[in-house]
Amino acid sequence: MIADIWTVTWKEWQEFRDQLLSLRRGGLSALILALILGVVAPVQLGPEWVHSRIVIAYWPFLAATMVSSLIADSVAGERERHTLETLLASRLSDSAILIGKIIAAVLYGVGFAVANMLIGLVAVNIAYRESAPILFAPQRFAVTIILTILASLLMAGIGVFISLRASTVKQAQQAFGIAIIVITMGPLLLFNALAPEMRESLVRRIADVGESRMETYAVGMLFVTSAIVIGAALARFKRGKLVLD
Amino acid sequence: MITPPGYAIRADQLTCDFGPVRALDSLSLEVPSGIVFGFLGPNGAGKTTAIRAFLGLIDPSAGRAEVLGFDTRREATTIRTRCGALLEHPGLYERLTAKANLDFYGRAWHIPRPVRQDRIRELLTRFGLWDRRDDPVGRWSRGMKQKLAVARAVLHRPALVFLDEPTSGLDPVATVGLREDLAALAAQEGVTVFLTTHNLNEAERLCAQVGVIRGGKLLAVGSPESLRARRDSGRVRIAARGLTEELVVSLRAWPDIQSAAADDGQLSLALRNGANVAPIVAWLVQHDVEVEEVVKTRATLEDAFLDLMGLDAAGPALGRGDA
Repeated sequence: MIADIWTVTWKEWQEFRDQLLSLRRGGLSALILALILGVVAPVQLGPEWVHSRIVIAYWPFLAATMVSSLIADSVAGERERHTLETLLASRLSDSAILIGKIIAAVLYGVGFAVANMLIGLVAVNIAYRESAPILFAPQRFAVTIILTILASLLMAGIGVFISLRASTVKQAQQAFGIAIIVITMGPLLLFNALAPEMRESLVRRIADVGESRMETYAVGMLFVTSAIVIGAALARFKRGKLVLD
Repeated sequence: MITPPGYAIRADQLTCDFGPVRALDSLSLEVPSGIVFGFLGPNGAGKTTAIRAFLGLIDPSAGRAEVLGFDTRREATTIRTRCGALLEHPGLYERLTAKANLDFYGRAWHIPRPVRQDRIRELLTRFGLWDRRDDPVGRWSRGMKQKLAVARAVLHRPALVFLDEPTSGLDPVATVGLREDLAALAAQEGVTVFLTTHNLNEAERLCAQVGVIRGGKLLAVGSPESLRARRDSGRVRIAARGLTEELVVSLRAWPDIQSAAADDGQLSLALRNGANVAPIVAWLVQHDVEVEEVVKTRATLEDAFLDLMGLDAAGPALGRGDA
């Protein structure tokens, strides 16, 4: 099973690599994104870019966005390019195919985020030379990485559902765009819809929880949610259904 | 049901329903091992559904099938491990090179790396694709892609290969090339080939046995020779001068004549079983027809096929073979 998962991940990476190495097919946009996120933004923000609490949400969001574009290509793309049925006619199990695809997309998203973190760190240290190197706080860095992995897994699971319902990559990406807006803006809109006293009370309660416990809650919540979504995706990704879709 | 030795596929009353549509209707079929078996039928006849059911990609609504002695419901993974398939589309990753495509499926079948590399080289060389091994497949012609897809299907030396219309959409030259490759492959690898096609010429040249399916029902099965023999009840072509429409109409009324048609001095007759052509020729001569030639024509697989479809040769024919 592990060898099969790795085989699928290897194939997905071969396709990603080809896209990344080709400037016209996505390499250029990845390069521009890396330049903006990894160099321009850190240099403009300075040490604040490293120490700000916002990084805890920023990097998971960035990785999840990258995962969303890849998982759509990986799942809906197989159908659109008529490669899915051949893959299903192989000896690979349904779960090995799906997990292989999810791992490939998550590795890409997390890898992209971590690479940008490191490039940004180098850029900040060059632009704002101080006596001691400017580094992420170890605990916050660890939590950020865990949240980045979990957010990527969650997005991959959601992506599988969206992509299985879409007949083309474009359709899946459009649906994904809407889903990301709902996921990110939804809580904000809900918060604004609350009565002012409720909002104040909520902010107070969150502040009382403390940063460390909030991080634990976030990790726990994302872990449970992504496990449920991926479990449901595994249940949905079955040959019998896929061949007839 | 236990598949007796010597059979690659055995289906017993296999039925597949998709909502109100019955795609396979009580299909009972035995395909001997080591042959090229052609599954013929018009579009929508149930050919692809049969392959999907044999590969365990869909569960039948009723009946059962065994492939290589394994039950398609319970042992589908074992079946897929031992079979190869080229389905409706080539199913190649167009961004990847030919070598990477084969490498991926070689890994999927757990072929050790050195064996895999040798096998990829062997197949790409056999199909004349080795020089283009590092090209992304997306740049290839359809014929080359089909060859690569066939190579992928036999990469792991399966005991049984399903080929769903492998020459569909190819030009005549590519069709002949691929057909020759398939024949050589079947002979050299000793593999059972289950081939669906609506190209009757292809089936006649490649297949040791054929089955004819329409509307999910198996209409006939046997060697192309035996199917042709059904139609060889007596087709006669008479080249003659002085044929008139009245004479042809009179001939149609003869009890021994199933059908009669005249076109450009050629009289085509289909005789009923055991009928003799001599009295007909004598009758024509009596009616001032100058008979120049009498030829008993041999029915083709297409004639037999059209007969089974309930169409005559002048009707809406299926692919008569483009090469």
